[in-house]
Amino acid sequence: MATPQDDEVSYDVVIVGAGFAGAILAKQLVAEGKSVLILEAGADRGEDWRTYRDYLDQYFLAQAKTPNSPYPNLPTLPSPSVLDITAVHGTQPDTNGYFVQQGPLPFGSNYLRAYGGTSLHWLGTSLRMFPADFEMRTRFGRGVDWPFGYQELRPYYEQAEWEIGVSANAEDQTPEALGIHVSEPDDGKNFFESGYDYPMHPIPDSYVARYIAEAGDGTPVATGVRSGWGGKPEPGLDVVDIKVSNTPQGRNSTPRHGKKIMVAGREREAFEPRGGTGAFAFIGQRCEGNSSCIPICPIQAKYTAMKTLADARANRTGQLQIQTQSIASQVETAENGCVSGLVYKRYPFPGVPQYELRRVRAEHYVLAGGAVENATLALASGLCRSSQELGRNLMDHPYMMTWGLARDPVGPFRGPGSTSGIGSFRDGVFRNEKAAFRLEIGNWGWNFAAGAPYSDVARMVGEENLFGRELRQKLFHRVQRQVRVGILVEQLPEPSNRVTIDPAYRDPMGQYRPVIGYDVSDYSRAGLALAHDACIQLYRRLGVENHTAYNPSDSGYFTHEGKGYTVFGSGHIVGTHRIGIDPKTSVTQPDMRCHDHENLWMVGAGSMPTIATSNPTLTLAAMGFMAAEAINRALQ
Amino acid sequence: MDEVADTGFSAFIALSAVLTGYNRAELHATGCAQDYWQQLRQVTPPAILEELLDLGPALDAAMATDPEAGERQARRDVLGSEKLGPPARSLIQLWYLGQWTPLPLEWRRAWGASRFDVGRIISTRAYKEGLVWDAIGAHPMGAKQQGFGAWALDPPQREG
Repeated sequence: MATPQDDEVSYDVVIVGAGFAGAILAKQLVAEGKSVLILEAGADRGEDWRTYRDYLDQYFLAQAKTPNSPYPNLPTLPSPSVLDITAVHGTQPDTNGYFVQQGPLPFGSNYLRAYGGTSLHWLGTSLRMFPADFEMRTRFGRGVDWPFGYQELRPYYEQAEWEIGVSANAEDQTPEALGIHVSEPDDGKNFFESGYDYPMHPIPDSYVARYIAEAGDGTPVATGVRSGWGGKPEPGLDVVDIKVSNTPQGRNSTPRHGKKIMVAGREREAFEPRGGTGAFAFIGQRCEGNSSCIPICPIQAKYTAMKTLADARANRTGQLQIQTQSIASQVETAENGCVSGLVYKRYPFPGVPQYELRRVRAEHYVLAGGAVENATLALASGLCRSSQELGRNLMDHPYMMTWGLARDPVGPFRGPGSTSGIGSFRDGVFRNEKAAFRLEIGNWGWNFAAGAPYSDVARMVGEENLFGRELRQKLFHRVQRQVRVGILVEQLPEPSNRVTIDPAYRDPMGQYRPVIGYDVSDYSRAGLALAHDACIQLYRRLGVENHTAYNPSDSGYFTHEGKGYTVFGSGHIVGTHRIGIDPKTSVTQPDMRCHDHENLWMVGAGSMPTIATSNPTLTLAAMGFMAAEAINRALQ
Repeated sequence: MDEVADTGFSAFIALSAVLTGYNRAELHATGCAQDYWQQLRQVTPPAILEELLDLGPALDAAMATDPEAGERQARRDVLGSEKLGPPARSLIQLWYLGQWTPLPLEWRRAWGASRFDVGRIISTRAYKEGLVWDAIGAHPMGAKQQGFGAWALDPPQREG
């Protein structure tokens, strides 16, 4: 390896990755007068409106409109793509895409290596975890406990909600309001600080969500039923009623005015929503219903990390440098374990495997590249060896879908991907035996499930031999009745679900590709099966004609108690460098400082010891505020 | 554009109206008609194109007087034809999706392959103007947004 050229400037903090976590850290550090450098591997800046418009055009022209489709995918800087996912067979790993998949199930999630990170194509769902989620070991004998509880994280959730700009009503989001039979009676107490509320009013529930709520609310689901019990609930176990609720979302609605709101102990002015980033970005504040949050919000009404990065750059208290086209390659350590430098590859021409090897130095170093990239870089650098946990305990929300045709038109393909869901099963005593889950009501018909409306046109024209007037009418009546419910189930931390590296697998820049071993345990499978049954009961009650089909040739197909199901990834990549007190069983301290390296911090969803049923973004953002506080303290 | 091509274009629009169920004004309003006309000409051998275009105006006229008879005639002469059916079905999908659907292998073997016969979205405009979005009572995903809260309103009403 060539000798790296040292950068002339050094910084208080170097952050690897310009995504959710990196942006929040940068903003908080700069606000305290620190000098910060962000190294971003991606090549361009979507905050420039021309680049962002190019993203949009690329989306329009993409035949497969996958989450990553609008964004650059350089051969030299590959991002994992859902199109690369195939079943893993036998003993040979699947190397179709960027990931090297060892199976037995393929890891179906993706992320984006670009300026703004995966925030460019997230859906915007901004859920808090529940008190029980921090105590999985104590309460259910499953997984691990967190080193802190819900109440300790609560003020940071408030900060995260105000940073992202979340639209919701606090009173709609308590465990009680969601219809949850909490596993301990006190869980609902002080769930929100008194006087707290979200910065913006809720995003209105979609018509289809209200349609489902009207007839579906109150559908009883026995969370303890096992096959062979004749449908009767087991003694002592709960029957939980389905309840549709509004989902807190990181997209702009109407700011809350005229109410003093305390955020992390500070009274806040009314929230000022941010629209697009960059010059000339005067359009797009409130969500206008573009129905394309994944993969791209054309008007940036949905939060992206680019907004926080823009704030950070505008703050002149400290200094922020953002350097793209710079791939962090090696974290160098001194004998005492401290990080002495970060070696990175700066490439002048996107897509060409040529680079200049450079080294940057700082007081503190932060890895914020996402759970998979953080683990890969740390493993490649031989870091964090006290525990055997680095790269392990990889989690996701295995994502399963059910879909059908309603009796009436429900107005799909309008508005955000999901405005509402069913949170009633996000906690309960059943978690002793099976995973908790959340149901998400989709607003885009069978788009995710079956490629609607393209597939409807292809089938009606190609197989049903329709044309003209009749084609037009049947399309309306079929597609208008499409209903889809997504199931997101929790996974437990398991050592065999892991990211490793192997010298045999490198990308064109010579960087290690992530090698992933992954499976969905019986615990999660049991949760999926219960969720599936809940959907079917709901469909019976609504008179929805069930069209759900799981095919043994699907890449994510598995069986549970004799029935087949298909799962996908949800892009909620969690848990490769979890926090904890004990250096033997965790990678970082509770404040995300590495046990083994005093000036190295690992942030993002990789820090989470368990995944719970909430999409991890809000939690990783809250933990980002926590880590920023700790780093600011460490720098004093 | 010479006169012959112009006649061809209006026959193309007439045929498209029959196949899509949208009238000429609606088809012209997409702003994509010339692009689609070009695409069809690039993919279809001249003799077959001519046969298709010859049928267009007559079918359109038949449809205007007796829709059911017109539809029967369209099935018999165009959609039921081994030669004309496949390009007609690709043309319907082109209008509905803004995307060319490659012709079946058997058809290519029998009538010849064109290097333009590949699946692609014709243009960003073609994506946004796909008739499917209107047909399903929605808007193209990522464009022509309906405004804040529109998703909470009652579904659109349609006759038939």
